[in-house]
Amino acid sequence: MTNSIYPLAAIVGQEELKLSLILNGINPAIAGVLIRGEKGTAKSTAVRALTELLPELEVVSGCRFSCNPERHDELCFECLASEQDPSRTSRRARLINLPLNATEDRVAGGINFSSTIKNGKTILQTGLLADAHRAILYIDEVNLLDDHIVDLILDTAASGRNVIEREGISISHPARFILIGTMNPEEGELRPQLLDRFGLCLEVKGSDDLDERVSLLTRREEFDLNPVEFCRKFVDESQRIRRQILQGRQQLSKIRFPPYMRIFISELCNENNVAGHRADLIMEQAAMALAAFEGDNEVRTDHIRRVAPMVLIHRQRDAQPPPSPEPPQNQQNEEDSEQEKSEDRPDKPDEPESSEEPAGEQEKSGTEPPETPENREQQKGEGQEGQTPEPKEQGQDDSPRNSEEQVFEIGASFKVKKISTAKDRVTRRGSGRRSRSRVSQKQGRYSRASRNGVQGDIALDATIRAAAPHQMGRSGDLAVQLTSDDFRFKIREKRIGNLLLFLVDASGSMGSRGRMAASKGAVMSLLLDAYQKRDKVSMITFRRNEAEVNLPITNSVELAGKLLAQMPVGGRTPLSAGLIKGYEQMRNFLIREPTGRPIVIILTDGKGNVSLGDDKPVDEMLKLATSMAGETRAKYIVVDTEEDGLVTFDLARKLAGALDAEYFKIKDIQAEELVTIVREKQ
Amino acid sequence: MQKKQIYPFTAIVGQEKMKLALILNIITPGLSGVLIRGEKGTAKSTAVRALAEILPVIKIIGDSSFQLDPENEYTNYQEICRMLGQTPHVRENLTVREQKVQVVELPVGATEDRVIGTLDLEHALKKGEKRVEPGLLAQAHRGILYVDEVNLLDDHVVDILLDAAAMGVNNIEREGISFSHPARFTLVGTMNPEEGELRPQLLDRFGLCVNIKGIPSIEDRVAIMEQRIAFDENPEKFCAKWQEKSAELVAKIMRAREIYNQIEIDQKLLYEIASSCLEVGVDGHRGDIVILKTAKSLAAYHGRTKVESADISEAIELALPHRIRRQPLMEIPDSIAGLREKSQTA
Repeated sequence: MTNSIYPLAAIVGQEELKLSLILNGINPAIAGVLIRGEKGTAKSTAVRALTELLPELEVVSGCRFSCNPERHDELCFECLASEQDPSRTSRRARLINLPLNATEDRVAGGINFSSTIKNGKTILQTGLLADAHRAILYIDEVNLLDDHIVDLILDTAASGRNVIEREGISISHPARFILIGTMNPEEGELRPQLLDRFGLCLEVKGSDDLDERVSLLTRREEFDLNPVEFCRKFVDESQRIRRQILQGRQQLSKIRFPPYMRIFISELCNENNVAGHRADLIMEQAAMALAAFEGDNEVRTDHIRRVAPMVLIHRQRDAQPPPSPEPPQNQQNEEDSEQEKSEDRPDKPDEPESSEEPAGEQEKSGTEPPETPENREQQKGEGQEGQTPEPKEQGQDDSPRNSEEQVFEIGASFKVKKISTAKDRVTRRGSGRRSRSRVSQKQGRYSRASRNGVQGDIALDATIRAAAPHQMGRSGDLAVQLTSDDFRFKIREKRIGNLLLFLVDASGSMGSRGRMAASKGAVMSLLLDAYQKRDKVSMITFRRNEAEVNLPITNSVELAGKLLAQMPVGGRTPLSAGLIKGYEQMRNFLIREPTGRPIVIILTDGKGNVSLGDDKPVDEMLKLATSMAGETRAKYIVVDTEEDGLVTFDLARKLAGALDAEYFKIKDIQAEELVTIVREKQ
Repeated sequence: MQKKQIYPFTAIVGQEKMKLALILNIITPGLSGVLIRGEKGTAKSTAVRALAEILPVIKIIGDSSFQLDPENEYTNYQEICRMLGQTPHVRENLTVREQKVQVVELPVGATEDRVIGTLDLEHALKKGEKRVEPGLLAQAHRGILYVDEVNLLDDHVVDILLDAAAMGVNNIEREGISFSHPARFTLVGTMNPEEGELRPQLLDRFGLCVNIKGIPSIEDRVAIMEQRIAFDENPEKFCAKWQEKSAELVAKIMRAREIYNQIEIDQKLLYEIASSCLEVGVDGHRGDIVILKTAKSLAAYHGRTKVESADISEAIELALPHRIRRQPLMEIPDSIAGLREKSQTA
C-alpha cells in the first residue's frame, strides 16, 4: 500500500500543473518549477507522480554522482581519476526529497565519520545535492526552508556544481537538478533570489467545477481503497505520456527556433518589465519543450504564448509583483468580506502613503461597512498635504469632537520592512524567524565548535581534531581513538522570534484625518509579519487618562487582530502612562525570560497631554523615555503618525531620540520594492 | 503494561461530537486525525487517553521497532535493516506480534531528536558502530499520535509533523545520518484557542475538527461529578462496571472497519458534497475527500452499507469548520450550518 503512487494521468484538472512538470521532464534546462497554491490541490501528488513517467537515464556505473557518460567535460573527480573507460548502466529517474529539517552536511555532503574513524583517512559522504544530480530535487514547503540551506541550493543551482569546502574536505562535483518546490503563500514568501531560480512558476487552486470535483473525489476514494487496481486502470495513459516525454527529449535538439521568435520573446519580456535575462532564456527553452511535446518541429508564437505566463509571473518587476498572490487584505468584520472584494487593492502599491488621507471622512465611523467610493476619494485626495489644519496648541486636541469614542476600520495593510534585533552572544531557545541568535537546540547553522556547546550535539570535525594529537599514545581497534575529553559540541545560530510589544496611541488626536485607520493598517501589517515570523505579541493602548494592557503576551496573533479591529479611539493622550505600562510589561517579560529581546513598537504622534506628575506632559514623556532607553535588551521603534504639513511638532521624533529608537513615518515601514527604490533614485 | 486504570471512554458524559470524531478515526485511519478545540476541563485529554482501551489489535513485525505491517511493508522492513546494517529475516521467518494500536503522546516540549529519532553519535564514534534510537514518529506508525496543546508546539516540530504527514514517511537527513521509515499516523490534537491558533498548513492536516464547550445542563454536570468521584474512589470497580459497554463499542467499531470497503454512495450525494464545499469556500480538495470518508465511516458505524444524506450533513460539520477560507487572522466558526444560513440570508 505504501509503495503505490497516485498516477499523474489520474489527476483531475490542473492541466497547467501537469504541463509544467512534463515540460521540465522533457527539457531539464528549464530548471524547475515552483508550485504555489492552497492546501490540498494535488501539488505534492503531481510531483511525486512525475518521477514515474521520466525515462531512464544512462549513468557511469558505480558513480556516486550519477555522471553522464556522454559528457566528458562534466565528469566528477572520481570518474576522471579512474583509468579505464567508464562502463554504463541505466537506472530509473529519481526524486530526491529535501526535508525541512535537513542539516547542511547532509545537503552538501561532508565527512563520513564512522568510516573516517575506522580507517583513519578522510572519506567523503555525499549529500543530497549529489544524489540530485540529473534528478529532481523536491522541496515541499520551500518557503519554510532555513536560510543557510537556501544559500547552498542557490550556489549550486547557479553554477551547476556543488563545492564542498568544509570539515577539511575540498571537493566539487557536478550537480544539475530540476528544482521543484511547492509552497503555500500564507506562510510567507520566498526570497527573490530563490524565486528566480525556478524556471517556471504557477498558481494552483481547487477546481470550482462540480463535475470535476466529484470525479476527483471518486478517483481518490477508489485509489485509497485499492491502489494497485487503480493504477492498473491508468497504465495505458501513463505509458502514453511516458512515450511523449521520451520522444520529446529525442526531438528537442531538432526543434528549429526561428530567429524572429527571439525578438518576440525579448519584446514580451520587455513589456512585462522583467528583471534580468533569465526569463528570456527560460522562455526559449520552455517553448522548445512544448513544441517537442506536441510533435512540432518548429517553435511557433502559439507555443511561446502558452508558456509565457509560467515564465513571467514570478519575474515581473512592475509596481505590483504578481507572485505575492493575495496581499494580506484589510481585515474587517466577517460580514464585510463580500463587499471587501470589490474594494480590494488593485491599485494599491502605488499608494503607500495611505497614511495621509485628507480631511472629510474622519467622522465616519468604521462600524459601517467600508464604502468603495469613499476609499477612492481618499486616494484621489492625496497630495493635498499642504492643508493641515491650524496647528493646535497641545491639549487642544481635547475638543469635544475628539472625546467621543469611535471605532475605526483597519486601513490597508502592506508588507513591512525587516525589523530585527542585532545579534549578540547570548544563547537562547526558541523558534521563529525574526532575529539571529545563538541557540541551544540542534537546529540552525553550525557556526563553530566548543567544549561547552549543546550536549549531545557533537561537532565531529572538531572532535577528531582534538583527538588527533593524542593518537600515538592510545590503542584500540579503530584508527582514531576517542575519549570523552575529546568531544566538542556545536554552537549554532538561527533566527528566532521576538516579543513584539505594541504601544498604540488611541487618543482623540489619532482619530482625525483617517490617521487611525492608517495606524491600524500599519499595526495589522506588523501583526501579519509577526505571524509569519512566529513572534509573541502584546498590545497596550493609551487614551483618556490611562493606559491599558489590551492583550497580554501571547502567541495568538489572531486575538491581537480581533482586538485591533474593535479598538475604540477618543480622549486625551496619556503618553507617559502608556510608556510606563509598556515598560512594566516589558520588565515582567524580561524577568521571566532574561535572555529575551523585546521589540517595543510605539505608534503615536507624540502629542502627549496628560502627565502623571507635576511636569509638563512632554517633558515627563521625554524623561521617561530617556530612562527607558537604559534597558539595553529592548529595541524601540517609534512610528510617527503625525502627518506632514506646514507646521509639525515633530514630537515623536524627539521621543525616538530620547528612547534611542528607530524612527519611521508610517509609510516608511513599508518594504520597498526594487523598482520603487530605483525610481526614487532617478 | 498499564497498571494505572484509565477512565473508560464509554463513561464520559456528553461531548458526543468529540467521541464520535475519535471513533470515526479509529474506523478509518485514512481520516488522518482530529483536532479538538475547547476550554479547559472539558474531558479532551481524558477522552484521548481513554481511547487506548477501545482500539483494535493489529499485526506487526516483531523484529523491528518500527510497527511495520508484515503483509504490506516487508520491503520497508528490508530497507530499514539495510540502513541499520542488519540482515533482515526472510519473509517466512518473521516473527509477527499482535498488539493494540498505540496512543503515542508527543509532549509539547519534545525535542526534534525525540520526535524523529536519533543516532547515538557518541557510541558511533567510540565504537565505530551505528545505533539508531527510533523516535516518536516511528512509534506512532499505524497508531495515534496525540499532541496535547498542539498550538503550543515548537515550530520546527510542526515542520517535521507536516513533512511526515504529507508523505507518510519520516525522512531524516541530519548530522551524517540518512534514514527513513514509514510514519503514517492518526494525528489527534487538543488545544485551547485562547492560546493562539494553529498554522493553516497544520490545521489542514487534521481530517476533522470539533469545537467543544463545557456542558450547560445541570443534570449532566452532576452526572459528571458523580462518575468522576466514583472513579477516583475505586477505579477498578468503576472500570469493571463499564467493561461491558466498552466491549460493545469495540465490537461495533470492528464491524464498521470490516464493512467500510463495501459502503456505497449515490452519485447524487457526491454532488452534494462537492457543492457544499464550493458554497462555503474551502481551499483545495482535501475537504471533499475527508467528507466522503467521514460519511462512509458514519454509515459503517451505524451498520449501514449505504451513505445517506444525513451522514453527509453530519460529516460536513466535522470536516469543514477549520477548512473554510478565512481572512488572515480570522476565527474558526463553530458551525457550518449556521454559517451557510447566514450567508443565505445575507
